[in-house]
Amino acid sequence: MGLLHPKATFPLSLVFLFLFFLMASAEEEFLEELLLKPLPDRKVLAHFHFQNEAPLAAHSFARHHHLFPKSISQLVKKFHIKTMELSFTQGRWNYERWGGFDPISSHNAKPPGVELWAVFDVPQHQVDASWKNLTHSLSGLFCASINFLESSTSYSAPEWAFQSALGSLRYGTLPREAVCTENLTPWLKLLPCRDKAGLSSLMDRPSIYRSFYHSQRLHLAMPTAASNGSKSGIILEQALTVVLQPDNQKAGIDHVSTKIQPSWSLSSIFGRKISGRCVVAKLSNIYLHVERGPVTQLENLQKKTSKIAANDTGPEDYRRNSVFELSVTPERVHTELEKSSSSLYEYSIKDYKDIEQFDLGLTWKHPVVWSSPHAPLFASRFLMGSGNERGAIAISLKSTEVTEGLAAANNVEERCKLQVNVLQIVPWYVKVYYHTLQLLVDERPQVLTDFVERMRVSPSEDKVSPGVMELVLQFPCEMKSAVLSIEFDKGFLHIDEYPPDANQGFDIPSAIISFPDYHAGLQFLDKSQSKSPLLSKLQERSPVLSYTEVLLVPLTTPDFSMPYNVITITCTVFALYFGSLLNVLRRRVGEEERLLKNKEAKKGVFFRRLLTNVSAKLRGRPSESPLPPPSSSSLFVNSKLIFRVLIVAGIAVAWQYYSQ
Amino acid sequence: MGLSVSELLMKVVLMIMLTFLSYSVAYSSSSYKTTMHTNNWAVLVCTSRFWFNYRHMANTLSLYRTVKRLGIPDERIILMLADDMACNARNKYPAQVFNNENHRLNLYGDNVEVDYRGYEVTVENFLRVLTGRHESAVPRSKRLLSDEGSHILLYMTGHGGDEFLKFQDSEELQSHDLADAVKQMEEKRRFKELLIMVDTCQASTLFSQFHSPGVLAIGSSMKGENSYSHHLDSDVGVSVVDRFTFYTLAFFERLNMYDNASLSSLFNSYNPNLLMSTAYYRMDLYQCHLEEVPVTNFFASVMKTIHTDSAYRSWSNKNIAEAKTKNMSSDQSISDSDRNFLRKLDEVDQFNNLTAEDYVRDSVGQIWRAILSTVNTFDSIDTFVCYGMLLMLPMLIFSTWLSSK
Repeated sequence: MGLLHPKATFPLSLVFLFLFFLMASAEEEFLEELLLKPLPDRKVLAHFHFQNEAPLAAHSFARHHHLFPKSISQLVKKFHIKTMELSFTQGRWNYERWGGFDPISSHNAKPPGVELWAVFDVPQHQVDASWKNLTHSLSGLFCASINFLESSTSYSAPEWAFQSALGSLRYGTLPREAVCTENLTPWLKLLPCRDKAGLSSLMDRPSIYRSFYHSQRLHLAMPTAASNGSKSGIILEQALTVVLQPDNQKAGIDHVSTKIQPSWSLSSIFGRKISGRCVVAKLSNIYLHVERGPVTQLENLQKKTSKIAANDTGPEDYRRNSVFELSVTPERVHTELEKSSSSLYEYSIKDYKDIEQFDLGLTWKHPVVWSSPHAPLFASRFLMGSGNERGAIAISLKSTEVTEGLAAANNVEERCKLQVNVLQIVPWYVKVYYHTLQLLVDERPQVLTDFVERMRVSPSEDKVSPGVMELVLQFPCEMKSAVLSIEFDKGFLHIDEYPPDANQGFDIPSAIISFPDYHAGLQFLDKSQSKSPLLSKLQERSPVLSYTEVLLVPLTTPDFSMPYNVITITCTVFALYFGSLLNVLRRRVGEEERLLKNKEAKKGVFFRRLLTNVSAKLRGRPSESPLPPPSSSSLFVNSKLIFRVLIVAGIAVAWQYYSQ
Repeated sequence: MGLSVSELLMKVVLMIMLTFLSYSVAYSSSSYKTTMHTNNWAVLVCTSRFWFNYRHMANTLSLYRTVKRLGIPDERIILMLADDMACNARNKYPAQVFNNENHRLNLYGDNVEVDYRGYEVTVENFLRVLTGRHESAVPRSKRLLSDEGSHILLYMTGHGGDEFLKFQDSEELQSHDLADAVKQMEEKRRFKELLIMVDTCQASTLFSQFHSPGVLAIGSSMKGENSYSHHLDSDVGVSVVDRFTFYTLAFFERLNMYDNASLSSLFNSYNPNLLMSTAYYRMDLYQCHLEEVPVTNFFASVMKTIHTDSAYRSWSNKNIAEAKTKNMSSDQSISDSDRNFLRKLDEVDQFNNLTAEDYVRDSVGQIWRAILSTVNTFDSIDTFVCYGMLLMLPMLIFSTWLSSK
């Protein structure tokens, strides 16, 4: 028995080891979700959300992952990233029509081009170096010119706009960066199924890039464990938000005339269907989000037409109702806590056969008009002034129905306040005069200190750093509109610093307007059972955030060919002047003629000399005959001759060797 | 007299040493030139910005697609595109680029990877890629990590003129810059063979300064000639491809990576009447005969497998390299179908080398072995040397007679 004991424990320990690894690997998980939402202006929002989680083992540096992309985990380890967000966006989120008070818009509405921010877990003096290396790595990883964010003129360290990561946060944007297939390719390669299976197989490149707005986002977070405060793992969130126009042609013309929303299906907006889930995904769900507007209308209609008991609503009724009809019966319906608010239809993707594919379609039956919820203030930004010398930037904030309702509700109580944070970054060549900051509330100029609670300004330094202005403003709730304006001078760049298409103008990155008192988040009834990260994202109380437009400032551009023209004409003038002067002063006609004569005389001189030499030899041979015999006796021992023979032999051997 | 004899002896010894030295130099240089072909790289550059230069991007992407189809992976292709045409607001077909008005083939595809784009495409970055002098932070995907056994295809298109190529409408790459970069690459042993293909106006002038061996250059037009676009796509609204690239693609469309069409057949496929310009080839720096060099040497990634008995042995590496160098010349003429024969040849060679291992111990022995092997391979060398010396003798007598007083 004692002999058997070690043998028996060995396989047992192996089993335990295997189980341990299994458990360790089970922690790594991948979830894929897609949210579809009809928008009020006859468009459809598709929001893909992929989440990849991996435990972080500090002791094993070169660890292999099962699902988690290794390139990202290496990035995190190498640069000590705490949080990072990278987004590639084209188009502008329409806050007025598509809403600004829901989690989707405050998380996924991004400024055009590339936006990158990162929080590093390194000492203060190493943050800039880490940032620079990170931008280079990301540019290689995502096929974009993110490395332009390396220069200190293009990034800054805002303090209030983002999380409270004092000092170790860096923020930079590239408004002009193009976004295309080459950025999506590496992004998809981070997914375990790439675009071969699962929800990502819907991503037809032409349909995505034909859209009104598309934003591809990558968010890295390191959640800290509650127990000991150390990092527990890496969460990689990848989201693609697309606003598409459903094809009207198929549905017929009558929809346009009757104002019925266009009907759509997955195959009509993407040109593809889902043939199955990504096998390694723990969760593969599709949600259809119907906003408050259609839901209330539906309820009104149902009240009008037939009195259905409230507890009678099975899934079939959700599928077919008087407003719209769904092609597939939802598995579950989440409704918000409040009565007559938005509802969420849930579908989970199974493995389909070749013939059977998942294709969700929505057909509208009744014309519905609604509007998405707006942010407390609607922000826009514009340029003022004319000419190439100076101008002004203005940020206008207009109240929406949210603040109006608020003002009405709070009228009785003490004065209600609305806090607004503004972050404005300007490149150094737009030289902002911060003392000219003016505030107009309800079209009347106001004293700035009455409204500004805190203010942080770091002026730009020429060719070193951009100017950053952060404001915390407190407005009364009943305010209708406010305009912030600030004047600037247009600077001059060195001729080498102009981009190749300088005439197009220069971009001022978007300002960020955030409302820290307001939180976007949907409250669903069955909070407890939702394991989906997308649902928890929707329910998260996140601050409302909106971006303003990118401004295009035309700077004075030099005539780039001017230096060449000047050089050419100056050289011509100098050449003409000095050439003729030297000609007059130095030319000697007699000398030239003599030279010409000499040249003619010298012609064919080599051959003649050779000929005379040979003839002289021939003629002089008898006369010099006494001399050769003694020399001929020593001819064979002559060192000179042997030397020549050797050279010839050497040449012959070399030639032979090379001519193979 | 004794003095003269000793002097003579010294001279003879000196001569022998000199020949020996020259021989060894020749041997070492030739061994460098015949390093094994290890990998293929492609650097594809579109230097033009703005929408009306759509065709230049289509040219570059066509070549990208071709080399990718023929087996060069994305990590060994450096693609530089000066502007974004695929997702340009003026493009009616987003995320698609066509080089033919029949729109049968989307060049942009689903998996394109662009390494340098937009403002990054500058002369500085281009020369940095070629010479490999990057900042330390630059990621591997943006570097040309070639070695002394690499075959590199360098394709450039854009607007050019006499001895220059415009980048981004704002700066120029001159023929001297290019030749210097290539020279630097050669000295750093960054390539074995380099094929430069340029589709611009007066492309041939860009090659005038090359001196480095192993460089082969093809230009779309001679000095004073323009390179024209092939046709206009009225749906896209601009010309979509240049003539030279169009006919290059027409040649490659019917090839796969196992074909052994030669470079000379590619060169002969250019018809000056169709191109409306004269394609120019510079081959004086290239040692091999173009009839024997398959196009897959540059446009595809065809790897040769070496069968070894043992994977890791202290000296086996050297032997394999030598065995390979001997095969190189014969290798290229042999088509891929009879690879078995080649393998046998390899094995036999290796066996020979193993038996002759004693000689390989020190460098002198190695050189001596090389001399022996070359001398032994040619039976007629003795007779040839004899004839050569006999031929030289009258000339020698004549010259001594002339110079003697």
